[in-house]
Amino acid sequence: MKKTAAILLIALTVLSFSFAQGAKEAAPATSGTTEPVTISFSTWDFAMDPGLVKLVDRFQAEHPNIKIDRIEIDSTSYTQKLSIMLNGGSDVDVIMIKDADTTKSLSDKGQLADLSGFVKKDNIDLSAYNGLTKNFTMPDGKLVGMPFRSDWYIMYYNKDIFDKAGVAYPKNNWTWKDFEETAKKLTSGSGQTKTYGAHIHTWQACVQNWGVQDGKHTIMDKEYGFFKPYYEMVLRMQNTDKTIMDYATLKTGNIHYSSPFLKGQVAMMPMGTWFMKTIIGKKKAGESTINWGIATLPHAEDVPAGYTVGSATPVAINAASKKKDAAWEFVKYLTSAEGTEYYAESAAIPGRNNDKVLANIAKADGMPSGAAEALKVKNISFDRPCVDHVGDINQMLGEEHSLIMLGELSVDKGIKEMGDRAKEILGK
Amino acid sequence: MGKPHTAYEKKQMTLNRHNTLVGLSFILPNFIGFALFILIPVIFSFVLSVCEWDGFTAMKFVGFKNFARIFQDRVFKASLQHTVIFTIFSVIFTMAIALSLAMMLNRKMKGVNFFRSAVFFPYVASVVAVGAVWNAMFLKDGGPVNTMLQAIGIANPPGWFASTKWALPGVIIVSIWKNMGYFMIIYLAALQDIPTTLYEAAVIDGANGWQKFKKITFPMLTPSHFFVFMMLTINSFKIFDLILVLTDGGPGIATKVLANYIYDKAFVSWNYGYSSAASMILFLIIGTITIIQFRVEKKFNDFM
Repeated sequence: MKKTAAILLIALTVLSFSFAQGAKEAAPATSGTTEPVTISFSTWDFAMDPGLVKLVDRFQAEHPNIKIDRIEIDSTSYTQKLSIMLNGGSDVDVIMIKDADTTKSLSDKGQLADLSGFVKKDNIDLSAYNGLTKNFTMPDGKLVGMPFRSDWYIMYYNKDIFDKAGVAYPKNNWTWKDFEETAKKLTSGSGQTKTYGAHIHTWQACVQNWGVQDGKHTIMDKEYGFFKPYYEMVLRMQNTDKTIMDYATLKTGNIHYSSPFLKGQVAMMPMGTWFMKTIIGKKKAGESTINWGIATLPHAEDVPAGYTVGSATPVAINAASKKKDAAWEFVKYLTSAEGTEYYAESAAIPGRNNDKVLANIAKADGMPSGAAEALKVKNISFDRPCVDHVGDINQMLGEEHSLIMLGELSVDKGIKEMGDRAKEILGK
Repeated sequence: MGKPHTAYEKKQMTLNRHNTLVGLSFILPNFIGFALFILIPVIFSFVLSVCEWDGFTAMKFVGFKNFARIFQDRVFKASLQHTVIFTIFSVIFTMAIALSLAMMLNRKMKGVNFFRSAVFFPYVASVVAVGAVWNAMFLKDGGPVNTMLQAIGIANPPGWFASTKWALPGVIIVSIWKNMGYFMIIYLAALQDIPTTLYEAAVIDGANGWQKFKKITFPMLTPSHFFVFMMLTINSFKIFDLILVLTDGGPGIATKVLANYIYDKAFVSWNYGYSSAASMILFLIIGTITIIQFRVEKKFNDFM
């Protein structure tokens, strides 16, 4: 009996080896765009993006032969679940990619289709995307994602707190020094009813992004001295001036950035443009009465105004999809001039934008005055470039970030450790 | 068992074979499930640990490269260290507290059932809820635990999950609180099996409370000790969900344990081969400890 069991075990092991060797062959068959076809489309938080809901409906109205079957995946585990779905050969045609930096890994695995053929066939002018397509063009020239949505960091502020303190609203050419000084003037009170001059969310991006704002560095540099002035600024605000809530409380209490701002507890907050549609939605639902405004992100002394940090959300086609033509029609629509105009009506910023689009967004229902000026940017540096190992580096930076913010490591020691660990990760 | 010669022996063999087949068919459903969901994936894991695989493209055989790299990874070494520390303290304290509680609640007093339920409740509580509640309890400024500590005169209470020094102790405390109920029940049942005549004899011989515990209670519970120790050790080495909801391995990597490391390498870095190698190491550690324990238990039982 023992002998049989042993033989069986060995046989199973050998079988597993051979079983796993084969790579998946993508079936290249595509269907014409005139017969009825159903394409599946994976997204997260669909209901929170009314613009996208409208686009899906409009597309199906204009293309009666193409039906869109939506696959909704929970946002917190979207990237992992999507990867597992694609690994398992799941039948999804159009993919919205949540963490843009995972685009390269997906492409390296051969899971994303090359869109350059389609782009050429339909004569799409890529310059309309302000260079965003560069981030989704792989080293071998394949274009694997079209920029659907673009987001960058701006400064949100609470007009009521400014009025009460008699301080002028933030200007679009503020420096970080102006930000730090003004925060002191807007902080008042103590305990539960304290008003904070500013809010720095717990993401490492809310400190490290200002270091890459000038476009001269990225988070993949193996030496992070350019973070230093911003860590020093935020630690001053947290420990000395006490103009921001402390990291420890925010992290352990798992406090979402929207809460302190919408409740009127903080005067200013640097955050991404995606927050605009959330504020408008919450105000319409009557959940917040905030009197809000936006301004361009502050810049360092030696950086021109209008430089900010951001990213783009790409939409891609599954390389194993058997309905690539129909899928491309949908992707094309999502990123077309017509589609993006509709998308912008909900105060979301499409990847294809220009001054006219931004002006329209600024006029959208619920947007504050002066938004058009605030949204004008000269240069968007990518917070997470689309290269190898960016996920590992990002995770490491997050770990070191919490040590610095908690005071467990001095800024210098923390930055040195970041460099050491980055060299370990990238040196392999 | 030699070849059957007589008709009687032949009949016996057919009957035996028949019984064996019937027996096998009864366990076949369970075995199929076991094979499909546990046995085959484990074997596949062995295979993966000597390969490189991103989950989609072809697997590449790389020999022991994964293992060589793992032992140079500072995050792996830290995770291993945290797991060992967590296990040692969790096991010792949970056993001690569970036993003490069992002894205290092993009497017919009013409300004893209420207390037993109260102690057992954390074990069945949802891990996510436990995480949220204890994060609030351990808040550095204004959390109930620190407020109480300050009230009894400790000027600088620990930072708990906001401090690299105190995060692991904090996690250990929550783990003990969550598990003590289950093991208390096990000890309770075993305690009630100890014949009272032993205690009566001891009282006649003039034994005091401590001697009764040392010479009667503790030794008579040995089978339970083995069980509790083994279950606690295995579960502590595998701990994952509690860490995830309490600290997510933070601050920094202060509470990162092996299971976190394995998860990160598989689902964040998409390096399934490397991750499987780490799980092989975890498997070997737990396997070795369990085998040692079985041997010790066997020797002890033979001796008894």
